[in-house]
Amino acid sequence: MSAVHKHKPPDGDKTVDWAKSFILLGLGVYLAHLILTGNLSNYINQRFAWLVYVGAGIFVLLALVNVFSGLARSPDGHDHQHYEIGWDILLIVSLPLLLGFLIPSRSLGIEAVNGGVSLSPVGVQSAAAFQRSPLDRNILDWLREFDRAVTPAEFNDQEAEVIGFVYREPSHEADGFMLARFTMSCCVADAFPIGMPVNWNDSGDLTAGAWVRVTGALQAASFAGEFMPVLFADAVELVDEPAQAYLYP
Amino acid sequence: MQLEAEHNAGPQAAARPLKLLGLALAAALFLGATSYQALSSGIEYTLIVSVFATRFLGIFVEAVPFLLLGSITSGLIETFVKSDDILRFLPRNRLGAAIGGAFLGLAFPVCECGVVPVTRRLFSKGLPLSMGVAFLLAAPFMNPIVFASTYIAFGLGPVFIGRIVITVFVAVTVGLVIGAFAKADAALKPVARGGGEDHSHADHAPPSFQGKLLHALQIGSDEFFEMGRFLILGSALAALMQTLVPQESLLSLGTGPILSVLFMQILAYILSVCSTVDSFLALAFVNTFTTGAIVSFLSFGPMVDIKSTLMFSGVFRRRLVIYLIIMPFAMNLLAGVLINLWLGY
Repeated sequence: MSAVHKHKPPDGDKTVDWAKSFILLGLGVYLAHLILTGNLSNYINQRFAWLVYVGAGIFVLLALVNVFSGLARSPDGHDHQHYEIGWDILLIVSLPLLLGFLIPSRSLGIEAVNGGVSLSPVGVQSAAAFQRSPLDRNILDWLREFDRAVTPAEFNDQEAEVIGFVYREPSHEADGFMLARFTMSCCVADAFPIGMPVNWNDSGDLTAGAWVRVTGALQAASFAGEFMPVLFADAVELVDEPAQAYLYP
Repeated sequence: MQLEAEHNAGPQAAARPLKLLGLALAAALFLGATSYQALSSGIEYTLIVSVFATRFLGIFVEAVPFLLLGSITSGLIETFVKSDDILRFLPRNRLGAAIGGAFLGLAFPVCECGVVPVTRRLFSKGLPLSMGVAFLLAAPFMNPIVFASTYIAFGLGPVFIGRIVITVFVAVTVGLVIGAFAKADAALKPVARGGGEDHSHADHAPPSFQGKLLHALQIGSDEFFEMGRFLILGSALAALMQTLVPQESLLSLGTGPILSVLFMQILAYILSVCSTVDSFLALAFVNTFTTGAIVSFLSFGPMVDIKSTLMFSGVFRRRLVIYLIIMPFAMNLLAGVLINLWLGY
């Protein structure tokens, strides 16, 4: 065996070359798949989706370069293999492919709530939220309104229609639950659960984590020991998870 | 690792069981941690794994385009930049080099995933240690793209200015200290060292422009695999931590002028969010945390976090990696606390 500096036998190089091309192409296809299926919104804020387009393009380009240079390599070519890419590196770099294609894509839901749902809004107030009519407001908009208000009674009798998932804690009264959503500024790394209190007689019958639309009117009341606006529900209906599961602050 | 194994087959054969052991340990840690979480929370195991996968892929998908751009930049530097060119423009003294390093990001706009391959490449081209370290710590923030995102999020207020001042100060200081006390040979892994072993690709790469470009992309893709594994292991670790450590428990502990800074820095380390977007994330904490804590989060996060720690270990020897975490952590903590005291919390 020739002990040439940094050069593996040609056979080994070929296999590694093909494996590298395959993984690069796979990652490019995976990113494109996320874009096409819309599953991308499970992972990152749509504001940064263009980054993923760039990433998919570069992956495919690099895969082509690898295929081309692999084919062009002569059997005893003196091409520089810069790093020795071993099977362990190939295995680690295929991890996103394995997890991405084998585990069904889901957004963060109630299972990801780790340590409670916040009653405080996140982020700064955007101008758009002020102009949104009360019936179009989402959980984040409402929490910001509550935060801004001088007194919880300010919203009494205000009608509202809000979508979120059901979250219950042992401390909640039998007729109360929280309607929760995850907020996401850039990617799921910063996803944060927020929720607004709901009063509904049959709260105990609701499945935790189920997506529901709650219609009703706000009324200042005590919830989990705090006096604040509570959504007194007229109706709670099961709905599909929204295409964009997260709220963007 | 394979670095020592490059010259003959012996050590590589010996390293193989170690790699296997490492991967097996990582898998065992993962299974143990997720099982514990499933048992203690009463949530189905498959759901825990699904949450982990979502978090892992989220961090990976957001960071990987930046790593790709950094890898290609590294390939272009390798192919088109000669060592002599770099050495000619270098400041002669250490202070000048460190300050130059802190501002080099304005010329090489890279984020925290992209900066590591570029720094490693520049080291192998003969960049001094002090300059490279200052560049490594400062460049993820000190570049036009992140200036823009920070400005959009915070305007020209104390956060933006504090972020610049602290980043430059910490990067230059750490660069000077490491440049003064460490020798490049002892600090850097063999792949990042220049000198006799350097194949100057700029000299004997194919002569045509297209040939060089192809060559640069080829090097870039190798670089992606080499650095990508650290990004992926780091993303997995960050996702695992997030699945196990309740964010709320950090938030509730993080009050007061000192603790708030400490916890925001720990959060920055765990979250491992890319520097190009961390300003938008920090906005989420403006109401909960002190200004000093926000500034420290934004200055410390781009310098060091879980995934960059793993990526550093591809460039530096272990002892230096530890210094590169502890020194910025302590200095940012001090700066954040001083800001809080100064603003009167």
